[in-house]
Amino acid sequence: MRADRVSLELKNSLSELSTLGSSLEQFGEALGLSSKILFEISLSMEELFSNIISYGYADNAVHWIKVAISHEDEMLIIRLEDDGIPFDPLKAEEPDCECPIEQRKIGNLGIHLTKKFMDDMVYERQGNRNILTVKKKITAT
Amino acid sequence: MEVVEKKQNGICILGLLGRLDSNTSPEFEKKIFEVIEDGTKGVIVDFESLDYISSAGLRVLLKATKELKRSDGKIVLCSMKEYIKEVFEIAGFVSLFPIVSSVGDAMEQF
Repeated sequence: MRADRVSLELKNSLSELSTLGSSLEQFGEALGLSSKILFEISLSMEELFSNIISYGYADNAVHWIKVAISHEDEMLIIRLEDDGIPFDPLKAEEPDCECPIEQRKIGNLGIHLTKKFMDDMVYERQGNRNILTVKKKITAT
Repeated sequence: MEVVEKKQNGICILGLLGRLDSNTSPEFEKKIFEVIEDGTKGVIVDFESLDYISSAGLRVLLKATKELKRSDGKIVLCSMKEYIKEVFEIAGFVSLFPIVSSVGDAMEQF
């Protein structure tokens, strides 16, 4: 069966990464995506999801993060919605990838990779929610 | 994920199997720092059976190589899949680590 849309509600916990990963894998395999494209999508989703749970919340309560995966023509579309503090990953500072090892920092590297791997990213703040829509071209190569 | 440790001519070879992500990186971090604390100066990380890496895995490698540099040691990476090497290129990590095609070539870096 080929689902055109998958919706998930995930807790703000790293343990949910495997649920997210296997959902992406199933969706990608049904679309016949190459392992390289699937890898780039999985990595980007891990980076965005782990960012939300690491920096999005000041309290220790359980929060739900909504993930919707769909596709339209040649694009895979993933929408992430969370009720964390306002955070626009597109405005995150670019890491310095040239400087010597002693000064090298890991901060924002995940977002940097995500921006490289995804073809389009749009951020919106609606009420108390961050909504990030990312798109990836899935044309077979 | 699984980390398989081998010793050869005083060099420690850590073979990674599976996924190096936010969940499994702490396990790899523990292992590689144990090896460094044991006084090993040369570490080879074998990527042959690694299918996935995220920035969490890169973070551990960066931290470990900084630590080893202090004692004049080094880390050599080998046998990476093409799409994983691309992550290292985008992250600018290819200038931080020698990346070679086999464990044999990695041994020659010491």
